[in-house]
This record gives sequence, C-alpha cells and structure tokens, in this order.
Amino acid sequence: MSISRTKRNSLLNLPMLLRIVGFLLLVESAFMLIPLITTIVYEEHDFWAFLITFAVTLVAGLLLTMVVRPSRSDMGKREGILLTAFTWLSFTIFGMIPYLLSSTPQSFNNAFFETISGFTTTGATVLPTVENLSHGILIWRSLTQWIGGMGIILFTIALLPMLNYSGGIQMFNAEVTGITHERLRPRISQTAKGLWLVYITLTALMCVVLCVGPMGLFDSICHSFSCMATGGFSTRDAGIEAWGGYYNKTVITVFLFLSGTNFTLIYRSTVMRDPRVLFKNETFRTYIGIVVVAFILSFISIGLLNPHYSIAKLTFNSLFHTVSTASGTGHLIEGYDQWGAFAMSVTFVLMFIGACAGSTTGAVKVDRIICLAKNCRNEIKRAVKPNHVLPVRLNGKVLPTSTTNKVVSFTFLFIIVTIAGGLTLTAMGVPLIDSAFSAFSCITNVGFGAGITGYGAGGYEIIPDAGKWVLALLMLIGRLEIFTILALFSPTFWKR
Amino acid sequence: MKILIAGAGEVGSHLAKLLSNESQEVTLLDKDVDSLMVIEEKYNLMTAEGNPTSFASLKTAKAGAADLFIAVTTSETDNIVACSMAHKLGARRTVARVDTYEYILPENDEYFQSLGIDQRIYPEYLAAQEIISAMRYPWARNRFEIHDGEIVIVGVKIRENAPVANMKLRDFGSAERSYNISAIKRHHETIIPRGDDTIQPDDILYFSTTADKVDNLINLCGKAVNHIHDVIIMGGNKIAVQVAKEADPDEFSIKIIEKDQQRCEKLTELCPDCQIVKGNGRDIEFLLEEGIDDTDAFIALSNNSEANILACLTVKDYGVKKTIAEVENIQFVTEADNLNVGHVINKKLIASSRIYQLLLDADVASAKCMSLADAEIAEIVVHEKARITRSQVKDLDISHDVTIAGLIRDGKGISVTGNTLVRAGDSVVVFYLNGAMRKVEKLFS
Repeated sequence: MSISRTKRNSLLNLPMLLRIVGFLLLVESAFMLIPLITTIVYEEHDFWAFLITFAVTLVAGLLLTMVVRPSRSDMGKREGILLTAFTWLSFTIFGMIPYLLSSTPQSFNNAFFETISGFTTTGATVLPTVENLSHGILIWRSLTQWIGGMGIILFTIALLPMLNYSGGIQMFNAEVTGITHERLRPRISQTAKGLWLVYITLTALMCVVLCVGPMGLFDSICHSFSCMATGGFSTRDAGIEAWGGYYNKTVITVFLFLSGTNFTLIYRSTVMRDPRVLFKNETFRTYIGIVVVAFILSFISIGLLNPHYSIAKLTFNSLFHTVSTASGTGHLIEGYDQWGAFAMSVTFVLMFIGACAGSTTGAVKVDRIICLAKNCRNEIKRAVKPNHVLPVRLNGKVLPTSTTNKVVSFTFLFIIVTIAGGLTLTAMGVPLIDSAFSAFSCITNVGFGAGITGYGAGGYEIIPDAGKWVLALLMLIGRLEIFTILALFSPTFWKR
Repeated sequence: MKILIAGAGEVGSHLAKLLSNESQEVTLLDKDVDSLMVIEEKYNLMTAEGNPTSFASLKTAKAGAADLFIAVTTSETDNIVACSMAHKLGARRTVARVDTYEYILPENDEYFQSLGIDQRIYPEYLAAQEIISAMRYPWARNRFEIHDGEIVIVGVKIRENAPVANMKLRDFGSAERSYNISAIKRHHETIIPRGDDTIQPDDILYFSTTADKVDNLINLCGKAVNHIHDVIIMGGNKIAVQVAKEADPDEFSIKIIEKDQQRCEKLTELCPDCQIVKGNGRDIEFLLEEGIDDTDAFIALSNNSEANILACLTVKDYGVKKTIAEVENIQFVTEADNLNVGHVINKKLIASSRIYQLLLDADVASAKCMSLADAEIAEIVVHEKARITRSQVKDLDISHDVTIAGLIRDGKGISVTGNTLVRAGDSVVVFYLNGAMRKVEKLFS
C-alpha cells in the first residue's frame, strides 16, 4: 500500500500551457464564424478579413494542439495564473487581426487597444466614428465583449473535460471575479455550464425584447452582446441615444442591472427555483441600496441644474446613467456635460464600487466594499472596546481574517495601480485630471471616454500610442482582478 | 454519481481527492471551514460548511440527492447518526466508518439496515487482514488478487543478490514465461518497463501471474522461502486484537508487548491465545529477553509512527525477517516504504481504498481495483468490437504508459504474451500510469 507522492517539479509545464492555449484558440476561431457569416449576409468586403483571421486562428490552434505533446499533465497554481494571462493576451492578438485587415484598417496600436478593450468589457474606444465600420467588424466588437464578459476560460471549462483538473480550477479561480469563488455544483464544468446557461438565456431574452422596440435585429444582437457583458460598445456614434425614446433605455437599464448581479444567485433563484436566496443575500440588497441612493442623488442634482428636463426624461436618464455606471458599462447619454460636478462625483464613486462579484462587471465590487466598510467599523469599535470579538460577517457567515486581509490589500493595490497608471500617462503629456480619469475608467472596466473630463473629442484616440498600451495593461489588470497579473510581475512567481 | 462525504479529515480528504479525479460529483461536508478551503482551492469538488449531524446542513449539502453518502468523521456515533439522517433524507446508499468490531458482525446487519446504514467500514479490521496477508507471503511487498485470485499481482523488492538484478528485461525467460513484469517502482517513480530496461537493485517489481505460478517468483527474485510462525506485536491496540482474533493460533504464535498494566490485563481477556508481556517495546534489551532474535515477524503498532519505523529498522539487525509498521502520518508512508521498513500499514489509506472499491463495484463499466503509487490497476471486461480485439497484443501499438498484466477467460487466469489475441468477453487486467486513463478507455472502445 502506498500513496502517490506529489512531485513538485519546479519547472513550468510549458507544453501543457501551449496545448491548452491551442484549444482556446480553436474556441475563438469558432466564435469568428459569427462575423464571417454576418459579412456573407451583408455581402461585405470584410469577408476576406474574417476568413483570413478565422484560418490563421484555426491553424494556430490546430498546430498547438496537434504538435505539442506534453509529457505530463499536472498544472499548479503558477501555471494557472500564467495560462490565464496568456490566454487573454493570445485572444486579443488573434482577435485584433480583423481590425488590421478590414476595409477601414486601423493601426497596430489602435487595433490592440480596441480588442483588449472589448475582451475586458471596458468599452473604451479609439475609433472616432463607428458608423463607417462594416457589419462584420461591428458584430465582432460586440462579440469580443460578450466572450470576455463571462470569461473565455469559463466557457472552455464548460466544454473541455481536460480543464476539469487542478489546472482548470486554478484558472477558474483566476478568472471568475469575487472574493471567494462560489460553485454551483460539485463539478467545475457543471458550474461553468450553469453560469453560461444564465448568460446565454439572458442575452437571447434581451435581444428579443430589444427587437420588439425601435431597434433592428442587427443592432439588437450587437447591443445584447455588449450590454450583457456590461461592455458598452455601440453600433452608432451617438450610442443608445440614436434610437431616442425611452423603450430601449428601459430595457437596457433592466438588463444592465441584471448583469450586475451575481450570476450564481440568478441561477439559484431561477434554475434551482429558490427565489428567496436573492433577497436574503446581503450583497444583492446592498447593490440595490447603492443604486437607489445614487439614483436619488443624481436625480436631485441633475434636476436642480437642468430645470428644463421633463420629469420623465430626468428619471429615465439618471436611472440609466446610474445603472450604466454601477455595472461598469459606460454608455453615455446626451447632455451629460450639463449635469454638474456633483453628479459626476456620484459617477466616480459608482465607478469605484461597481456591482456584485460573480457578475460580468469590473471595479472593486460591492462584496469587497461591504467587507471593507464592516472592517473599518469594527476597528473603530475596537478603539473603544479593545476586548470585544468583532469579526467581519457577510451573509451571516464570519469571513476569515485572511480573506479580510486579502480584500484590504486588493483595494490598496487597486488604488496604487490606478495612480501609477495615471502618473505614467502624465509623463506622456496627458493633463493630470484626464490621465487620472482615463486610468481609473480603464482599470474599473467602465470605459467612459477621456472626453468626460474635457480632453479630446470623447474617445481615447487622443491618448498617445504608448499611453494606449498602459491603459490596455490596466484594463487587463482590472478584469483579472489585480492579483493574477501582478503576480506575474513578482519575483516569487519566477523563483524555483 | 453524486457523492457526499461527511468529514474532511485525512480519510475524507483522501477519498474526495480520489473520487474527484474520477470525475464523480463530490461534495465534502465539514464543520471546519479552513480545512475545506484548502481542499476546494485544489480539487474539482464542492464543499459545504456544516455539522454532519444536523438536518439543516445535510439538506444544504443535498444529502437527499446523493447516490452515496460516506460518513468518515472522527466520531463513530456521529457517523452512524449522520448516515441514518442522510438515509432519512433520501440518500441512496450510506457508508459509515466505525470503531467497534461488533458493528461489522453479520448478525448486526439487520439492525444497521433498519437505521439506514448500508455499509460499515472498520479500518482496524481491514488493517489486521492486511497484516495477516503480509505474514503469509512475507517475500512480497504488496499482493493484489484479482478476480478471486485468478490473477495475482505481487510487488517484490529486488536486492543486489537476486538473480534478476542488473538483467535486461528481454534477456530472461521468453518462451514459457508464466509471468509479466508490469511495472517497476524506482525511487519515487513508477515506470512501465520495455524490453531494454534494466532491473536495478532496490527496484520494486510488480509481477502479474496466475495463482498457481506465484511461488515460482520466490526463487527468481532471490528470496528465501520463509514461513512465519513466531510473531511479536508491539503495542496492544485494536489492530493487535484484531490480528490475534483473525490469525489461526496453529499458524502463528503471537506475543503482544504492551506498556500499560491495565491494558495488559484486558488483553489477556481479549486475546486468550496470545502471550501478553508488559514492557517497553522500544527497549532492545527487553526485546532480546523476549527472544526477538528468534522471532520471524515484528509488528510495530504503537501510536507513534516514528517509533514504529525506528523499532522496525532496529529489529531487522537482529535477524527478524519481516517487519510491519503502522504509520499514521500519510506524509511518512512513502518515506517509510523507501527505508526498508518492510510493510507499512496506514488505517486511513486502507479505509479510503476500501470505500473506493465498494463504490466501483457498483460501477461495472470500469471496475478499478486498487491504486498504488502513481499507477493504477483496472479489470475491464472487453466488449464486442473493442479496439483491443483487433490484433495480437504485440501489434496493438499500446502507449508507453499502459500495459496488459493478464486476462481472465472463462473464469481462468491466463498470462499475456505478445502473441495473445484478446477476445470479446475476456476480463483484461490493465496496469497504467496516472493520467493514462483516456488511453485505456480508447483501447477498450
């Protein structure tokens, strides 16, 4: 009788990494069929751009999966982290090819920025106008957000049994947002399938509801993709305002709110038929509370500065803006520059907080904010009564001190990285306020244009090329929740 | 299969790990969040925090939907209560780990069935069984019997003086060979050997052969035919009592050494056929007085793993042929294996592999027998049109980490050579390294 001895091979299992990246690229090439078909339907010249991209991605994927033969299949924490980062990068590199080859060719810098902004669901754009783009490019922009929203890796875990071992679990932990990584069912593939089921169903539902309104089928599909992912790419320069009226705004507000909730909660309350969990959940209740308070504050402050707004316009616009900001979508509506400084301050706070963990949104997340707030409250109490036992409780359960520590470091790093990003931009000649805001907007994956602080025309085309790379890095750091990317820069990671 | 394991102790975690790697749907329930978090981070399973004997937490952990409920907490009564409750909630099958011999007696089956407990595992009893088997075949490190002993797999440690040492595999006995060398465990690694591999001293060879040919291996490996008769057991714990109960007094003469006066008196009651000696089993002079140099086997069962290992190493110098040590720290097991302790017993591993077997008996598709180091042995029934039936074994182009150890045709064990043609309906014993499961599946599909 003996047991297996876990050999810690200090070398990274690179062949296995490459092979899995190969599988993921095959998945990406399958997604590329959607814009390819779109270009066929609309008989567009960009058909060739997508055909080439599809072929290149497919061949790269096949090569990596067929040629690389890993001698061992074990993957540890380090491989998980590296693979996650590597996957997101390789998705971006192959995903940017259509922008380079399309009939409206972009520079290498811009194509990379636009693609990573898509995959990280930031929605920041460097394109001065989107209305000259082909349908294929437009749907690909939205699709990148949709894939990135729920997670490239999560999608693959649902499909590939190969990822159901330790390596896949590390990747699941690295990609899914939140303090703890809740599982729905015992097998990770079941959890992944459950989450994607919710995601796909909501997207399809949203598309149908939008189609009923003034929006056409194509625009509905694109907006459903980008909204469920809380990305914020639109098919028009004016964004959602292009269709006017309140129907679209209402629909989008509702679905954005849903995509800001924890998808495991949605799954539990609908598929598992236990609707009580939704309202018993402290995070969800706080999320509603934050949205309501922010709405009231914006309603009053915008209303005071814009007395010519009708009540309906005021209500719909401030609610839409609140939800669009909290969920990290960053859809802007006309007239925001007339709303005054206070409404913008509320916006900044919302951008920082974000929505629930386990959703498709970015930023710090309500869960962490609750944890931080309670921790601070406890420290204040402890100053007076040092002997009281005051743990942080979330949903009635005590959070271990290690978790609280992690949350505190997360938030600190989040702020530090934002400031560092902003400082780097100022070194490139971007004004202080604008660079700080751009960095903030990218790391929170909200993607409000730099124009909100009065720099440039609205988008990110004015940022110098080197600055775009800084922002791209910030987006990825934000999407993978700080630690995954920062760990790669730590010497400990590379030490044997 | 949906499996709920109550208790994330060593047995629970080990089982959870094994089962999750087999793609089962495993949920692990325990009171202690910290130990759960460590496991959840690494393995593909779900954890639930809660008391295994509370209806509320059993419900949250979905005990009602479980196909198998395994209670392996440290408390016997908790296990029984938890199983009974899980059964009430609708668990299809329940297994409880117990600490009392009475509970596994067949006459109490009915009572436990009425409580809703289908199976009881008593690790001490299983450990005693293993000890007795080790004493009967003292020259083998491991011995697995497959299909009622038609195929036997034995692990033998090769010494410098063995005839096979330093030989190339292809150089010995080709035509009428009645055994196969399925695997070699060298240092910490298990390899599936090819013809040009050389056998090195200190390798553990895994032979597969048929029941009647096993004894041929003794000479081949340079082992002496030892019959064990005089046995000294250090530490009069439950395992010792079980060994005394199960062993035939004519076959083995057992002497139990125990420090505690009261326990000694109790032992005379429990094991009337054994000699009970009061004393310290770690004191070599005392052991000499008790005739350690004339003893055939020494079994160290004290509650200190390190002391057991050291005691075994010491008595080896006095000519004891077989030593068996109980090592309860799972981390020490492989280390002890490498230290020539002889045979290592770990109750937790025995319990978990027993439960594992119970589970796989239900699952006919892949009747996995046992796991060992980093390789596994499986007995698989060949279907019509399986790839393996298409040509002779030598032409099958079998991958390097899989080997066919033997097969059972019409209830008879047969050794496999390159010329063997596997037929549908045969039961094939496959030896494969961890991670090669898929390749095995391909071979049989």
